[in-house]
Amino acid sequence: MNALLTSAVAGLTAGGTYALLGVCAVFTYRLVAVVNFTGAAIGTAGTFVLFALYEAGFPLWPSVLAGIAASTVVGVAIGFIMTRWFGEASASTKAAVTVALLVGIIAIGLRLTGGQHPHNMPELFPGSAFRLAGVEVTIASVLTIGLAALFTVLADLFLNTTKVGLNLRALADRPMAAELLGIRVQLLSLLVWGMTGAFTTFALMIIAPQRSPNFMTLSLLVVPALAAALVGLFRSFWRTLAGGIGLGLVEGMASSVDSISQYRSAIPFLVVLAVLLWSQREARWDEAR
Amino acid sequence: MQWKSSLVAVAFAGVSLAAMAGTASAAGPTCKDGTIKVGAVSTITGPADFSEVPKATQAAFDAVNAAGGINGCKIDYTIADDKADPAVAAQAARDLIDNKEAVALVGSGSLLDCAVNSATYSRKKVLSVQGLGVDAACFSSPNVAPVNVGPYTLSTAMAYYATNQLKSEKLCAFFIIIGGTQEAYKKAIENWEKISGKKIHLIDLTLPFQGDLTPYVIKARDAGCDAVLTNQVEPQVVQLIKTVDAQKITGIKWLFLAPGYTEQVASALADTKQPIYVGTEWEPFTEKSSPANAQWAADMQKAGRPLTAFSQGGYLAAQLFLKVVASIDGEVTRESVTKALHEMQPITNPLAGSPYVFGTAKVHSPMQATKVMRLEKGAWTVETPDWVVLPRAK
Repeated sequence: MNALLTSAVAGLTAGGTYALLGVCAVFTYRLVAVVNFTGAAIGTAGTFVLFALYEAGFPLWPSVLAGIAASTVVGVAIGFIMTRWFGEASASTKAAVTVALLVGIIAIGLRLTGGQHPHNMPELFPGSAFRLAGVEVTIASVLTIGLAALFTVLADLFLNTTKVGLNLRALADRPMAAELLGIRVQLLSLLVWGMTGAFTTFALMIIAPQRSPNFMTLSLLVVPALAAALVGLFRSFWRTLAGGIGLGLVEGMASSVDSISQYRSAIPFLVVLAVLLWSQREARWDEAR
Repeated sequence: MQWKSSLVAVAFAGVSLAAMAGTASAAGPTCKDGTIKVGAVSTITGPADFSEVPKATQAAFDAVNAAGGINGCKIDYTIADDKADPAVAAQAARDLIDNKEAVALVGSGSLLDCAVNSATYSRKKVLSVQGLGVDAACFSSPNVAPVNVGPYTLSTAMAYYATNQLKSEKLCAFFIIIGGTQEAYKKAIENWEKISGKKIHLIDLTLPFQGDLTPYVIKARDAGCDAVLTNQVEPQVVQLIKTVDAQKITGIKWLFLAPGYTEQVASALADTKQPIYVGTEWEPFTEKSSPANAQWAADMQKAGRPLTAFSQGGYLAAQLFLKVVASIDGEVTRESVTKALHEMQPITNPLAGSPYVFGTAKVHSPMQATKVMRLEKGAWTVETPDWVVLPRAK
């Protein structure tokens, strides 16, 4: 029992990451109606800009800012592609386009960053916050969970109480109607893309030292993140937050049970499958079938 | 008088030509069209890049060609990229064997060449002096004999080093299992148990290729491991040690295989105080002044190639192959090369701790020795100046 608790706590670091990236995915979906597979890859691009500058001897925090700026540009560029050419496309087409973009970004990223070679990663927030059940809970993982919660609260407030939030929701649901009403569709969309890009980048910079430092691994964090978003059915920020942290805990626990630990990496897919099966029985998914 | 002296000159030239032809037929290799065709299948583009291996082989052959070749025969070397795609790998091997008429494969380094092509090599009766055996099939096929120790024998050797020299009492092993490597790693640990007479304290074959490693390092700590052996590759080595540091774990020695032995890993882990050991495939490449590395380093620098461990493999494969070809009397064909490799005497080379022999066994892993490096303050230092040679199992 104690071992199970220990390994569950050990999964917290991963859980915070999944939650944060998941909440970003829901944010993008609710505001620009795109299931975005490139989320983590955009963040990874900025993170590698940080590594490159840091390895070249630039001071840490200006490099962080430069990295965030770089991925904001990448985010806006992808947003431009999505709104310009696929604005009126169906949700599934948009998702497929982001998958294609993800493959492209990974291919280019691996080439530019030297493939499997590890990088010298600065720890933005080193050290451990406290010890729980024999596990050091790092400041980085507390921070990711805290940021995920903060983003959840802010996103909820923003969408439900502000005029810009309302405009953006209109834009996601009926882009054409929104445009006719005089909402500056293109500008607002690009703003969302840039903002989520900047935010995921900061999240990835915090957790990168605890992950395998290569471009592909970091970009593929999008899979558990989307699983978490699916737990929230791409609507609820709070359920996504809980889904992400829960996913991390389950993965952690799975590694302590020998008979299932080899299937550990399949857990996000099982969650996706379970949520899809469960949601398919509801009437509002009828048209999707 | 003019015509008489010309006649003498012609007669003299004829005699000396006949004499030269006589010596050529008496000893040494000969070749049609002045070339010996050799190939390599390597992963160059795709998820991994092993091109350093055949490029070093190429450099070694170029040097021989520049000096006139072996007994006048130039080596015509073709490197095929398998893109880590089984279909492309199979096509590349068939092209080298059927169209290019390669007499042998030398200096290949690939993620899947052995697994995909070893049956083809057996069927076509062509042998591969693999520069870097990666997948399990490279060490379990009659027609492939790698010049590197390989991950499985190296696992046994590092476990042997842990108990024999580091005096580990509770050795644990964590392995990433990709494809069909599970049996090979299990066997590696069983071999160590036979050699050392000890039992593995904990073996975990579920290490993820990507994902958080915190639960695993906690598991190692809570199980009381005093040494942990793992087959993590470059970036994961860094991730593992960073996770260990974040968890403030002390008192465990961390043992890795050759993929962890790079300059990038050293610089990425410059700040850690964890005891980190890696096993090398050949004479440590970072020891630039080592006499064993002198010839390789000189030849690589002359060819403008970087000094990496991979390039040692390709270079060594070329050197061993050249010696075997030089021992052939008569025409160098696929048949004569295969025969020579089957019947060769073991050849020693200062780059490796064991003599290389191909032979006619069903499986080959001639290399059984490693040198252990330790990471200290961002630099690799030699921990075992003498080779750690794996004894035969009791």
